[in-house]
Amino acid sequence: MEYELRDDLKYTSTHEWVKIEETLTTIGISDYAQHQLGDIVFVELPDTGLVLEKGSNAAEIESVKAVGDLIMPLSGEIVEVNQNLIDSPEIINTSPYGEGWIIKVKISHTDELNDLLSYNDYKILIESEEK
Amino acid sequence: MDFIPHDDDTIADMLKDLGINDILDLFKDIPKKLLNTEFDLPEAMSEPNLLKKISDISKKNKLYSSSFLGAGCYYHYIPSTVDFVISRSEFYTSYTPYQAEASQGYLQAMYEYQTIISRLTQMDISNASMYDGSTALAEAAIMSTIITNKSTILLIEGIHPEYIDVVKTYCWGQGINVKIIKEEDLYNEINEDISSVLIQSPNFFGDIIDMSLFSRKVRNLNPKCLIVQVMTDPSCLGILNPPGATDVDIFVAEGQSFGISPNFGGPGLGIFTAKEKFLRKMPGRLVGKTKELFGEQEGFLLTLQAREQHIRREKASSNICTNQALCALSALVYLLSVGKTGLKEIATQNVQKSDYLKKALVKIKGFKILNQRPTYNEFMIEVPNLKNLLIECKKNDLLPPLDISHYFPNMVNTALVCVTESNSRESLEKFINIAKIVSEVTTG
Amino acid sequence: MIQNLIFTKEVNKSNTNFIPKLDIENIDLKEIIPEKLLRKDLVIPNVPEVEIVRHFVQLSNNNYGVDTGMYPLGSCTMKYNPKINEVVARLPHFSNIHPLQDENQGALEIIVELSTLLCEITGMDGFTLQPAAGAHGELTGLLLMKKYFEKYDPMKNKIIIPDSAHGTNPASAKMAGFSIIELQSNESGEVPLDQLEFAMKQGDVAGIMLTNPNTLGLFDRNILEITNIIHTYGGLCYYDGANLNPILGISRPRDMGFDIIHLNLHKTFSTPHGGGGPGSGPVGVIEKLIPFLPEPCLFTKKEGIICKEKNSDSIGRIKAFWGNFGVILRAYAYILALGERGLRNIGKVSVLNANYMRIKLREKYFLPYDRICQHEFVLSDKGIPNGVTTEDLAKRILDYGFYAPTIYFPLIVNGALMIEPTETESKSNLDKFIQIMFKIHDEAQNYPELLKSAPKNTPIGRLDAVTAARKPILKE
Repeated sequence: MEYELRDDLKYTSTHEWVKIEETLTTIGISDYAQHQLGDIVFVELPDTGLVLEKGSNAAEIESVKAVGDLIMPLSGEIVEVNQNLIDSPEIINTSPYGEGWIIKVKISHTDELNDLLSYNDYKILIESEEK
Repeated sequence: MDFIPHDDDTIADMLKDLGINDILDLFKDIPKKLLNTEFDLPEAMSEPNLLKKISDISKKNKLYSSSFLGAGCYYHYIPSTVDFVISRSEFYTSYTPYQAEASQGYLQAMYEYQTIISRLTQMDISNASMYDGSTALAEAAIMSTIITNKSTILLIEGIHPEYIDVVKTYCWGQGINVKIIKEEDLYNEINEDISSVLIQSPNFFGDIIDMSLFSRKVRNLNPKCLIVQVMTDPSCLGILNPPGATDVDIFVAEGQSFGISPNFGGPGLGIFTAKEKFLRKMPGRLVGKTKELFGEQEGFLLTLQAREQHIRREKASSNICTNQALCALSALVYLLSVGKTGLKEIATQNVQKSDYLKKALVKIKGFKILNQRPTYNEFMIEVPNLKNLLIECKKNDLLPPLDISHYFPNMVNTALVCVTESNSRESLEKFINIAKIVSEVTTG
Repeated sequence: MIQNLIFTKEVNKSNTNFIPKLDIENIDLKEIIPEKLLRKDLVIPNVPEVEIVRHFVQLSNNNYGVDTGMYPLGSCTMKYNPKINEVVARLPHFSNIHPLQDENQGALEIIVELSTLLCEITGMDGFTLQPAAGAHGELTGLLLMKKYFEKYDPMKNKIIIPDSAHGTNPASAKMAGFSIIELQSNESGEVPLDQLEFAMKQGDVAGIMLTNPNTLGLFDRNILEITNIIHTYGGLCYYDGANLNPILGISRPRDMGFDIIHLNLHKTFSTPHGGGGPGSGPVGVIEKLIPFLPEPCLFTKKEGIICKEKNSDSIGRIKAFWGNFGVILRAYAYILALGERGLRNIGKVSVLNANYMRIKLREKYFLPYDRICQHEFVLSDKGIPNGVTTEDLAKRILDYGFYAPTIYFPLIVNGALMIEPTETESKSNLDKFIQIMFKIHDEAQNYPELLKSAPKNTPIGRLDAVTAARKPILKE
């Protein structure tokens, strides 16, 4: 099975992708993750202004048959959430890396960036999970 | 009795196919010392013998000709249509409708149930039922703490004592603090840390609370606090202002009054409704309407299952699986059978008849009506000699009112009287007569 | 063909067919209750009786029940519901009795007698019949554990649950305030002893929740070692009795080492499923846990009946009144009807039926755990060609007039198809189902579209669950 991966992003072992930019970091779930969940029906977004630690649950992504947690890959403050997902959660299925972004964070601990997976590491991870 | 269809030849054939001689070979995974075929159980019975035995046991319960007892379980007439429908085995022997295409009948009925309950209560959404009123209230309390992220709830005095106990047990399980307060202490007790306020109306003692006023009070004190109302006899919704019109956030009720026999207290029906915005936090099954994938027909299915335990497991807000589907079906048939006119008339008669009795009792020396507010079909009386009253009732084939000391040991000579549309004038006069006699004997 | 909603049958006509004539003075409601407390309107329909009856008869024609045909649903034990139970439940001296009335000896006798019988069947020392369903029983049992450890060892706040467990297990544990340690089943589908011991060594585990036979239909051969390990480290063992059917008359949970159990009367003890309830989930305990049972403590010991309204160690009340009495009554009738002889045959025949199906179906379908099963077994869609999924298989089974097995559970098998025939299915019915499964397998090979577009022979085709969840329509 071919899953889309972007080489300009970082990843986590829990299938989030991370786009690191100067002021903000954007986070979503990978193509593999959206495929595992199936058609997404609802996203429970966090409040903006919320400060969350790495490893805590930021959002809940529901499909008909499963629930996935968006786990914070980095600690920080939620600055923006993707309001379009409220009415059209299916965007995550059709465009997981683009319009299907979920939250934007102002990160607090830059050393946590070292724990993220590279494109290659993540590719290997998916391949092993597929077996 | 034996419900196994195989004869010995069939079993022998099957064993042969399996390549074994003895059926017990199929249990070889069980450690030998656990194999136990010594059970001290009675001999099997055939149907006529069984029926006689159980019938005889049943006669040790007394069936009265008329009842003055309520307190959470009510005698209302049950239309013949109800048992007709729930006796259809396509309904009562069916499984939870997970395979929607083979269960459209039941799913449609549950959708109709959700609709009719929503209209009756004027609440946005109803689920397909919880176990009963008491557990529905407990689950509502938990749901309120999940929504607000606060862990203290207030219970207003006047909730059915058994319901309070159930709420306490459930809340203890999750570390939720429960505080029982008087309605007048609301001002002092509501603060930012309170998740919700739970109130029963009409309450255990019979009082109808002005819920519009109550809700406004709560909102003024803390707009984030949720208002949870419970009802033990929702037949009053035939005439009383429904929770949806009084800004209640979560409304639960015991639905036994809607076509379910008393059955010694169970099964009941946990009616569970809430405002639209709380949909995703609602426990229990939900039936939704949708279209075919490959066609144009509309149909029904269980939806939003991702809230429930079989998907969310330990992240579910409730563990509920089996609900009370057949009881919900009873309620649906009941409400349709009596209809708008019927329910209004039933509720009106409940009020008229209990008012009739109240007015008569208050004239009797030594009898006091303790309720200060309007009541629906239950009210509290103080009597000169309650023990005698109860004995005389039983002698006259009347199921006596509740001796309140059963729940409140300090309240002596006080009873909770219930009068419904099923109390004939004759039974009311009998009761009044008994009251007069008791009064004369006691007060001279 | 789908029926119109009942609301389309509304008429503008009063209906007082079911209301007694008012035999006292007709005083205006507003003279008794202030108008501000009264409702303005009531939008439920008046529907003629003939329309109501026809509506529900037609709905029932679109519904499948055990009386229609087999339900091979794993973990549900959809056995035949005896009709005598319905007669018994409707005896007016039971159905019309108030829970708070004094003259209730008959009802209490049923509760106590059933408790005694359940003690004998399971080996436990005391029962409560209060819980209204299996999950409710689980919560009760776990609250019992919580209270016990609050008293004796407050450090123990975790519960071990295998990954094959039913979702209610972790959900109930969480509702009782425990955190969960999930154990991965080993290649044989059983609990790994070394991992179990490691977890127990940490000192904060209150116990384990186990289903045995498990949800793969396999009897865990190490059960005595498992319960021994838990007890050695001061924990308690909870038995999820959903899968009690195959060991009825063969073995007892108490002998396996369990301290708390719950039963599902609507599974093992033939009370009807009702389309999703009412059920009943009695909880049985060993002697030392009896003081913790919920109130009112109406239970039986071998010596006699003990009843306490309040019990200092009790977890409190978990439901109003006495439990689902109507269901309790049916289960009591069932056990009396079967007697010792009948109960002893249930385990044997349910396991025979399941294994018979297993050896036939494995000819075509993939069986991940190929060994003797108990009352149920799990197939997988592995190897089914043309991208046909378990869901497609299930929907096609509906086309052939059978209900589909449980799908996608347990989670530890990909594309699981869990089959439990129960002891009340005839061999000819089993053979018919097997033939249909073979036919469907061929169809998957040669005409996969038949499966992917199934069902076609049911009143409605496959439904759009995604839109239903995205834009829920929950009422008319």
